[in-house]
Amino acid sequence: MWRYIVRRLLQTIPVILGATLLIYALVFLQPGDPIVALFGEKPVSEAARAQLEAQYNLDKPFIVQWLLFLKGALVGDFGTSYSGQPVSDLIARSLPVTFQLAFMAMIIEAILGVVAGFYAGLRRGHIFDSTMLVVSLVVIAIPIFVLGFALQLIFGVQLQWVPPTVGSATTFTNLLLPAVVLGLVSFAYVLRLTRTSVIENLTADHVRTARAHGVPDGVVNRRHVLRNSLIPVVTFLGADLGALMAGAVVTEGIFNINGIGNLAYQAILRGENPTVVSVVTIMVLIYVVASLLVDLLYAALDPRIRYA
Amino acid sequence: MQPKRILKYVGALSVAALAFTACGGGDDAAGGSADGEMVINAHGTEPQNPLVPTNTNEVGGGHIVDAIFAGLVSYATDGSTEMEVAESIESEDNLTWTIKLKDGWTFSDGTPVTANSFVDAWNYGANPDNAQLNAYFFNPIEGTDEEGNSTDGETLSGLEVVDDLTFEVTLKEPASDFPDRLGYSAYFPLPEVAFEDMEAFGEKPVSNGPYVLEEWNHDVEAVLSTNPDYEGNRTPQNDGLIFKFYTDPDAAYTDVQSGVVDVMDQVPPSAISTFQDDDSIQAFAEPGSVNGTITIPSRLEHFGDDEEGQLRRQAISKAIDREAVTSTIFDDTYTPATDFSSPLMPDFTEDVEGADVLEFDADEAKELWAQADEINEFTGSFELSYNADGAGNREWVEAVTNQIRENLEIEAEPNAFAAFAEFRELITNRELDTAFRTGWQPDYPSVYNYIAPTFGTGAGANDGDYSNPDFDQALREAAAAEDDATRAEHLADAQAILMEDLPAIPLWNRDAIAIAAQGVEGVQVNWQNQPEYYLVTK
Repeated sequence: MWRYIVRRLLQTIPVILGATLLIYALVFLQPGDPIVALFGEKPVSEAARAQLEAQYNLDKPFIVQWLLFLKGALVGDFGTSYSGQPVSDLIARSLPVTFQLAFMAMIIEAILGVVAGFYAGLRRGHIFDSTMLVVSLVVIAIPIFVLGFALQLIFGVQLQWVPPTVGSATTFTNLLLPAVVLGLVSFAYVLRLTRTSVIENLTADHVRTARAHGVPDGVVNRRHVLRNSLIPVVTFLGADLGALMAGAVVTEGIFNINGIGNLAYQAILRGENPTVVSVVTIMVLIYVVASLLVDLLYAALDPRIRYA
Repeated sequence: MQPKRILKYVGALSVAALAFTACGGGDDAAGGSADGEMVINAHGTEPQNPLVPTNTNEVGGGHIVDAIFAGLVSYATDGSTEMEVAESIESEDNLTWTIKLKDGWTFSDGTPVTANSFVDAWNYGANPDNAQLNAYFFNPIEGTDEEGNSTDGETLSGLEVVDDLTFEVTLKEPASDFPDRLGYSAYFPLPEVAFEDMEAFGEKPVSNGPYVLEEWNHDVEAVLSTNPDYEGNRTPQNDGLIFKFYTDPDAAYTDVQSGVVDVMDQVPPSAISTFQDDDSIQAFAEPGSVNGTITIPSRLEHFGDDEEGQLRRQAISKAIDREAVTSTIFDDTYTPATDFSSPLMPDFTEDVEGADVLEFDADEAKELWAQADEINEFTGSFELSYNADGAGNREWVEAVTNQIRENLEIEAEPNAFAAFAEFRELITNRELDTAFRTGWQPDYPSVYNYIAPTFGTGAGANDGDYSNPDFDQALREAAAAEDDATRAEHLADAQAILMEDLPAIPLWNRDAIAIAAQGVEGVQVNWQNQPEYYLVTK
């Protein structure tokens, strides 16, 4: 088990190296001169340009810029943004907010999705199942920003049940609506996934055997059907954590949440390469750790899987 | 036994979530109005640079810097100049200026505002080692290069401290409007403490303006309280300002609708056609100072510095139906241009000779184009470049190229660049071989500021490399003029030359737009297209 974890963690090293190199190359290839953009429409003198290029390592070839970034990142120094703040501070401020949002979204989608999917699967073809089919199709079909603006208008501006935007007050109630918006699309997937897998398991050999033994229906459904049906759902949720953090870019914009998505968006707009690369690196790390946790959860859910 | 284990995992996750929510709770910032003070919440964006006046060149930081600092002069809402920290700014030859300060001004740390506060700040701003983004503003002062950076190290030869409250500025060329320029943030004073650690200073500036910065809560808000020691022209009518930072103007608009934000300096594109009829807010729209132009570099084939080029430029200008674009594409939030500046400028005049070249006339346009064709047959296509990351650019560029195509019966098409940075780089390096969109936002309220930096021979923002000795002469005469009336006359002469040559084709002025929540009063939009935050009450 431990050997497995260590091996998996070692595997993340090339993943991180490759990801940062790729991002660096993309940012480097992006057309346009960040210094000119910084000055707007005003002319830039050679001396001032040289000064700024040296400050942000822009005068060095990109492979050297990348190595300097890695060197700094190893000791937690991600460079400074154009506004003079350490990028690590920016991330430390915004990451907890996005975590909070993504976790809330995940809890919402997991609980609602599994419960609704479970009952839809048990009552396949009934009115509840059909309703859920329609609901999930609608949710998947509508882009997240439409859902976001619509729900914000209804619950924030018109009904005034929740504040329309979050801003500095990242409390549970303020984040509830954004979390619902963020989790809605994945909720539909979790629902469909659970339903399909419940239907499959209902006809599995061990379920039939259990019923033949006279085990009560409720117990069979919970212990044998639901539990086995959760394996694909857990995989999905693990991978979804990364997607939620990335998907937060849109949601955070709509509700003005100062999370990592907003940070990345701003940095891309301003061409602040150190911030962009650092944020993406952190996201890759989260993705890798999440998928490791998913693999470990398998063992807990399915006794047939053992890591040596 | 088995189901319990699943529940345990689910339980662990929800506990983690609760722990996170607990961390975030508790700092429910209601806006500071709990104790009965009238604090105005304004839309803002996270400053992109430290709050050092010489390094703040975008609106997010600009709002704050303008509110917390006071310069030699200040601008009234209508753009007229009033003495603020300066007692007098005088010159006999418009070349050497003696600036006397009022006694008694202090920074918020108690230190006095002296001649050195200004001279040291300007020297710092012009020093290329500090790479300040506003260095360009020091360009008129002796001892700087074309970009405004000092040529001789740490001090500018044109600045000299006479005594604690007096200093002298020597310019490269006479400029009668020099005092009018000094209200721009690049010329604000800095306290001594700033030079000890500029980085720390930029994070929490010590200042001398109507407000002081209490707290800069990054990416969230900047909290400003009134400065009890301030005795200048801009006395705050409220008890403080909070600039709430947004990345998405739509979110801010929603907050104005629900009253969370009191005043906002813009309207998101999604609401531009509806905001004036929106009952949940108050809308303010007046002609503004930002203009939009099409620059046609003289190095382009057929658009050279000769009769053919002049005819073609005039033809293109007359082929554009500005009214149609401002009403259909901009929903009347832009106003067709009548000159190269803006009606908001104190020295604006309606009767610039030859300004009828800006009026739409398809028949005459075609005729002018035909005359040019007689000199030299036009081949190829007229391309207009723009940056697609600016809201609304694509729409108007397509409309204008359509009009040119139809009215002149030539090939005309848009040429899009994804990012402003790339677009500007090509323009700066003179690598863009098409016409391109340009625009100007004045740094100080004068027609001179629209035309001198953009069309003067070799000037910093002369993207089209226009050069006309007659025009330069008219500018020099305006700069050396004795009084405002002669100055305005010379500026009108200079504009008349531009109307003939059309180095850039004026299109329109963007309206100054602001919105406010219901119940907010005192919203006035100034010549910089910004609400006068110090006047807002509720």
